Amino acid sequence: MLEIKNISKSFGGLMALRDISLDVAERQIYGLIGPNGAGKTTLFNLITGYYPATEGAIRFFGQEITGLRAHKIARLGIARTFQNIRLFGTMTVKENIQVAQNIHARSGVSSLFQMYSARERRLRQEADELMNRLGLWEKRDEQSPSLSYGEQRRLEIARALALKPKLLLLDEPAAGMNEAESADLLERIRELRETGITVLLIEHDMKVVMGICDRIAVLSFGELITQGTPEEIQANDAVIDAYLGREDD
Amino acid sequence: MFLQQLINGLTLGSTYSLLAIGFTLVLGLLQMLNIAHGDVFMIGAFLGLTFSLLGMPLYLALILAMIGAGLLAVIIERLCFRPLRKAHFLMPLLSTIAFGILLQNVATQMWGSEPSRYPQTMEIAQFHLGSVQISSIDIIILVVSLGFMIGIDLFVRKTRFGRAMRATSEKPQTASILGVDVNMVIIVTFFASGALAGIAGVLTALVYLQITPFIGIRQGLIGMVAMVIGGVGSLRGAMIGGLMIGIIEIMNDAYFTASYRDIILFGLFFVFIVFKPEGLFGAKER
Amino acid sequence: MSVYMQGIVALMGVNILMALSVYAMITTDQVSLGNAGFMAIGAYASAYLTVKVGMPILPALLSGAFLSFIIGIGVGIPALRLEGLYLVMATFGFGEVVRTFFLNFEPTGGAYGFRGPMGTTLLLIYGWVFSMVLLFWLLSHSRMGRSLDAVRDDPEVASSIGLNVTLLKLGTFGLGAFIAGAAGGLYAHYMFYIESNNFNILVSSMAILYVILGGMYTFWGAILGAVIFSILPELLRFMADWRLSFYGAILVVMIILRPYGIITRPMVKWVENWIGGLFTRTGP
Repeated sequence: MLEIKNISKSFGGLMALRDISLDVAERQIYGLIGPNGAGKTTLFNLITGYYPATEGAIRFFGQEITGLRAHKIARLGIARTFQNIRLFGTMTVKENIQVAQNIHARSGVSSLFQMYSARERRLRQEADELMNRLGLWEKRDEQSPSLSYGEQRRLEIARALALKPKLLLLDEPAAGMNEAESADLLERIRELRETGITVLLIEHDMKVVMGICDRIAVLSFGELITQGTPEEIQANDAVIDAYLGREDD
Repeated sequence: MFLQQLINGLTLGSTYSLLAIGFTLVLGLLQMLNIAHGDVFMIGAFLGLTFSLLGMPLYLALILAMIGAGLLAVIIERLCFRPLRKAHFLMPLLSTIAFGILLQNVATQMWGSEPSRYPQTMEIAQFHLGSVQISSIDIIILVVSLGFMIGIDLFVRKTRFGRAMRATSEKPQTASILGVDVNMVIIVTFFASGALAGIAGVLTALVYLQITPFIGIRQGLIGMVAMVIGGVGSLRGAMIGGLMIGIIEIMNDAYFTASYRDIILFGLFFVFIVFKPEGLFGAKER
Repeated sequence: MSVYMQGIVALMGVNILMALSVYAMITTDQVSLGNAGFMAIGAYASAYLTVKVGMPILPALLSGAFLSFIIGIGVGIPALRLEGLYLVMATFGFGEVVRTFFLNFEPTGGAYGFRGPMGTTLLLIYGWVFSMVLLFWLLSHSRMGRSLDAVRDDPEVASSIGLNVTLLKLGTFGLGAFIAGAAGGLYAHYMFYIESNNFNILVSSMAILYVILGGMYTFWGAILGAVIFSILPELLRFMADWRLSFYGAILVVMIILRPYGIITRPMVKWVENWIGGLFTRTGP
């Protein structure tokens, strides 16, 4: 579904990504690993249209999305979370989710005069379900900055899911979570696949990646070292040198 | 004729430069605008007037006006900036606008809203260099303002305190960890910015010979324009920006029409901010 | 009502509209120090239409506001590149360009000012105020209102959930220009006479001040700010010549004491809940 073809990105002469090609198939959980500064988040930003690629092309279900503006790409069905949680700080939990449903609702000027419609009722139900599913129901009317760290991470995922994406990009979703929280999160990510969502996942924690991913790509200093199944990756010498060998950094 | 206008432009522009430097010092340090800066200029001019009326020679009036305006800027820092250092960037902008209203009103009460005539405390000599005529006033303005420009440039670049100022404007947290007294740096910066505005006020009054409590409004805005065109945060940019504006203004009046002067200046300002926000000499944003 | 009181109430209405024009732009984090410029455009355009063309006042006001809207879009597009202090400075530059333009523009009187527009009534002013309040109230309870909040909170994230940030920013900037244009038209036809200095930087600054001191996260704040600061100078009349000094001092003190405004959004929510769902709509 997502084809990345020979993508390169440079910032003022500095190569952040060099000639990356990836293929993500539908309903996969695809892991993206590599040391800090390897270019993983840069790749996310290219896919979601935050900045244009210097070279190469990205296709989503065969449609070229390179050069599209970020909101158009989101509307095609690509949602994301952020490495450093970015919620809408003046909104409650519920509002954070509702605003992400706007692309599926009448949300233009006509929404000013909108009465209670069948569509609105359905969207409300969906928002309620999402809050239930991610364990946020009790907190629905709280301002988002007052949530705990784990809850904020989950709310960010809930907000991304409210877009009803086909592809979900998760940028270190388990960062800063304790063992129990991150195990719980893994379970929820697995459930996502059951609902037909493809996941592209950046993660530092090797246990997480190996346990959950169908395929893994390894980046280092902007280059793709290798890709394959978790077993293949674990057996790969280059990976061990580049990454596993200094997992502690 | 052209050379004559050029000299007139430089003379006028050098007073703009002094104002632009004050803006850029504060903006570089706090990322905030002091809108009352033009009114500090105005108070400086009136202080110069008052001291001259007391019979002081020009240099003494100039020094006292400079100190007075510097202290006024420190008061503005204390009242309008320090309590709001963590607030939205608009808050100090608005508090200085309010303080500017206050200063204009105080000046009106003290010196009246009618134009005050500046006393002549010295003989004005005219010098002829070929076709160019230059008065002793022009020379004083050029020498004094260029002197202070070079002085502040050396101060910021060469002295220990200047280094502390630059460190604070680049990385305030780091600077305070390294033992820089950030509050002291801010106070001195405000004093310097006010003092330069005070000098500019007295020098401008020498040219126009008449001052009102409202002369600061346009002068302050023009100083801001000069700062932006020169490049926000750049001292030398502010100096050259001021001189450029002075020359453009005089040339426009001489060869075009004076009524469209401010449209040209503020239009240029708008175009610069939108398309070249780093100005002519400022650092490009990341 | 005495003529004196009528004057205060009328100008208060104009000030409320100016505050709402700044508020419209602030909903997407765009701070304009040039709304007096849009006010001038609406004022001169509508005055020209009624005095020189003979158009009735309401279509003239709408035309003036619409012209201001078009120019607002024209300014809003380059302004999209700017944020924070740079946008403040750019819009200020725009306001000064407009003011000096009208100072020299002969067809509308130039430096002599423009005489003759008339016909503004209190009813007309408060009809506009009421319409705009209704608009902002509907907006604050609509999905579109949430989109605007999202853009203000974090434009990058807003685009990641599919919101067209450019369009929303441009739309609110244009709306602000439109309201300022209408305020200008109403002002001109109330005063019978306008000159370029009626639209100086102080007018723009005061409009921002109403919003900030009233509370920038809800339109009620903008309205309250405009009301307070329209009445305050009248209450200070006993200070005679020192009135403006005292006014300036009060402003400085208020800014220091209440840097986040008087009315906050939780306060509005609390009041609305307290009123008991009477005014809460079914929308989100």
